[in-house]
Amino acid sequence: MAQEKIEEAPKPYRPYGAEIKETRPYSPCRAACPAHTDVQAYVGLIAQGRYHEAFEVITAPNPIASVCSMICHHPCEQSCRRCTIDEPLAVRHLKRFAIEKSLDYRRARRRLVEKTKGKSIGIIGSGPSGLTAARDLADFGYSVSIYERHPVLGGMLASAIPPYRLPREMLKEDIDDVISKGIEVKTNCEIGRDVKIDDLAKQHDAVLIAIGLSLSRSLPIPGVKGPGVLLAIPFLEDVAFDRKPSLGKKVLVIGGGNVAMDVARTARRLGVKDVSMVCLESAEEMPAWKWEVDEALEESIKINHRWGPKAVRREGDKVKGLEVVKVKSVFDANGRFNPSFDNDQTSLLEADTIIITIGQMSDVSFLKGSAVKLDERGRVEWDPATQMSSAKGVFVSGEVVTGPGSAIAAVANGHRAALAIHLYCQGEAIEGRLPVQEKEKIEQMPAQVVDKINKEPRLKIKHLAPELRCDSMVHFEIGYDEEEALKEAGRCRGCGGGAVVDQKKCMACLTCMRICPYGAPVVTSVSEIRPEYCQACGLCAPECPGEAISMVSYDVKEIRRTLPQTVGKIEPKRQEPVIAAFMCTHHVGVLGFDLPKNVRTIPVHCTSRIDVLDLLKAVEAGADGVAVVRCGDGTCKYRDVARRVEARVKRGQELLKMLGFDPGRIEILSASSGNGGNPYATVCADFSGRIKQMGLRGTK
Amino acid sequence: MIIGSQKPIEEIWEMVRDFRKVLVFGCNTCVAICHAGGEKEAETIASLIRMRAQQEGKEMEVNHLGVMRHCEPEYFDPVMDEVKKYDLILSTACGVGVNFLSDRTGNIPVYPGINTSFYGAVEAPGNFVELCSGCGNCILHMTGGICPIARCSKTLMNGPCGGTNNGKCEVSKDVDCAWFLIVERMKQLGTLEKLSEVLPPRNWSTSRDGGPRRVSLEHIRAYEEQESQKAATAGGKK
Repeated sequence: MAQEKIEEAPKPYRPYGAEIKETRPYSPCRAACPAHTDVQAYVGLIAQGRYHEAFEVITAPNPIASVCSMICHHPCEQSCRRCTIDEPLAVRHLKRFAIEKSLDYRRARRRLVEKTKGKSIGIIGSGPSGLTAARDLADFGYSVSIYERHPVLGGMLASAIPPYRLPREMLKEDIDDVISKGIEVKTNCEIGRDVKIDDLAKQHDAVLIAIGLSLSRSLPIPGVKGPGVLLAIPFLEDVAFDRKPSLGKKVLVIGGGNVAMDVARTARRLGVKDVSMVCLESAEEMPAWKWEVDEALEESIKINHRWGPKAVRREGDKVKGLEVVKVKSVFDANGRFNPSFDNDQTSLLEADTIIITIGQMSDVSFLKGSAVKLDERGRVEWDPATQMSSAKGVFVSGEVVTGPGSAIAAVANGHRAALAIHLYCQGEAIEGRLPVQEKEKIEQMPAQVVDKINKEPRLKIKHLAPELRCDSMVHFEIGYDEEEALKEAGRCRGCGGGAVVDQKKCMACLTCMRICPYGAPVVTSVSEIRPEYCQACGLCAPECPGEAISMVSYDVKEIRRTLPQTVGKIEPKRQEPVIAAFMCTHHVGVLGFDLPKNVRTIPVHCTSRIDVLDLLKAVEAGADGVAVVRCGDGTCKYRDVARRVEARVKRGQELLKMLGFDPGRIEILSASSGNGGNPYATVCADFSGRIKQMGLRGTK
Repeated sequence: MIIGSQKPIEEIWEMVRDFRKVLVFGCNTCVAICHAGGEKEAETIASLIRMRAQQEGKEMEVNHLGVMRHCEPEYFDPVMDEVKKYDLILSTACGVGVNFLSDRTGNIPVYPGINTSFYGAVEAPGNFVELCSGCGNCILHMTGGICPIARCSKTLMNGPCGGTNNGKCEVSKDVDCAWFLIVERMKQLGTLEKLSEVLPPRNWSTSRDGGPRRVSLEHIRAYEEQESQKAATAGGKK
């Protein structure tokens, strides 16, 4: 009985093939994402112009998708199998494109969720982890209240991430999605100050502590106390809430992590021309992401590597600079952080303002004396297997327990906590029921496959020029336009979205093995298509005489089924022929360009996916002419496609001829988008003219 | 396996034109592998018939279906209720399947949707070649693994005729002379001297000349009910 209740769990949007994907190794991009976002699915949907479906796939596991589209460190990209070919897909930027294209859609789909569970949950903190848990628990049917000490929701996203990286209107869309489910919001409410934790635990059936790391660590060095020395988080909070921190003319940031980058680049945008950084690590050892460092250098921020802070030098009250000592090594023989210094080598880095950005910790002072125990180092005690603290019904999630990490990792932990709370509220055991983070993933692409793939460089993400972007907090990254997004999405090799064999239907005829340009199928007693080889081109499925091959990421029979609707009603007194045009969506612009009105477009991800039967069904549906519009010479993303498509079209023509039709009613057209103009409209119009000459079917 | 090839649509149309409900019934084994009569090809033929009917202005319901094999009742029995809703079954199985099914459909006719060509192999994708005639008395060990019965145009048993020409048969320059191949192969195997032995006239009673054939395995044929099923198949020796 209790087991059945779990079945009521919210059912997020499931793209085609979602079920089968769960039974197979994940694409490396998906496995790398802490929230296991199905990157392959949404990039594929973007490539087909199905932006709203892409949006659904993106947001299903991730309530802060807009935020992630701006600031995620995108482990998906680092693990993209395209890295072995040329460069990874610009996944984060594609996400941003799909989200921007879905703004009206997302606003229109916001709905209150019925509170069916009759229990309430209090969530302390509204950062990535708290928001995620809030959304999940609302979807489960609980009453959810969020307690946030700041005047706005979002946690660090609202109070610390500088607006030049994350425009607040993007964050607001994410928050509005969550809140619209009917969540009670208590801002300006600090637990400990305004409400006691034990009281909160009594008010709710369960409480989640998701307070993140809100305190900056300082340095125990002489001179650190006094004006002119700031800590990172208060500084960033001042900026976020427009309290204009006072900085001098020479700002020095201590630290080499990503928050240090935020601080330095923010200082630069507050009008300080001379911003420098000092860190223990060399350029290679620095924990900040390389792209952050590169962008900071573009903004003429100087980085002093391998110096350790020794003392803040002051003249009277005023900061004069930081005395530093040379670093011999940062890590010890075991690779642990354990810096050693050469005390003979010191230097003075001049500065009138110093901002310390060397790490964060969480503020758990409100838990002292409560039922939630802290360990000897002052951290919350918790059980990772249940997400529960030492107090029954009080759960923890996010960086307060996992330590510093990424926003998306906090999202993943928020999901776990929400499920744990749900199980707890339903009186069920939690241990062993929470999802495992590690997923089996598809192996790297074999070298012989890599050799067969054309190199296509990643579409550069454009930024405002440094001299323009340093003037203000304006978001400095420029989104893809539709043409760019389609082109970039077309680079995806569809890992994990490829061919699968129905072993009940397979008769081991070897056709797939003979036809596959990448050597993916191996036929023993039945065929098995190896996902690490498969490029998801779709060439094999129409060739399989037993129809045993299907594709994970799309329904191979969808075209056939929907053709009558696509072709539409055939007007007996029509003047222009009805043309069914199968168009490769790798033509950038197929989706954007206007085509003559009499052309009914059937977008396909590659013409390799078109079956003879599809061509025939278009004729059966009443089309006067059937066009297969493929990429121009040499631009096809896959191998051996042209030859096979020609053979299929020829077969279709032969069959038409048997019925007494002019075989020219089916034709291959070729177009390239690179040469300007609208070649698709031109080739389709020419074909339409030829069909008109042949006569319109069923008219006099 | 058995190789089939599609019939021209006109021939099919002449067969089906007077029926109102037609099922194109595919067989998903041999004839599917040779892209002639699997379920997918059945769907293609169904589509062609529908279009032909439309051209003629005929009201016709044409659907398709497929099962693993038409030559074993266990495969089609589960769909027989559905199959029997039609006025005509156009089977795209080989002739074996058409015969076998036809004996089990009562007053509903089963017509052949394809031509059954031969026993063959897949020489290359889409290229099927006849290599055996099923004569019932194999002598391939005497002829270097190349069958003169299936592959010699005249079924000669003791060397080529005068029509052999640089390795090709006089029937067509696209046909290899089987005896040329036999000699070359046996040279390679070092068994050419075997050919000095004259093969006696063959006993063709194991082939078609002995009438319809049946193979009966007593050790396998263990079930009583199979006996009754056997009776339903015409033409076999009981």
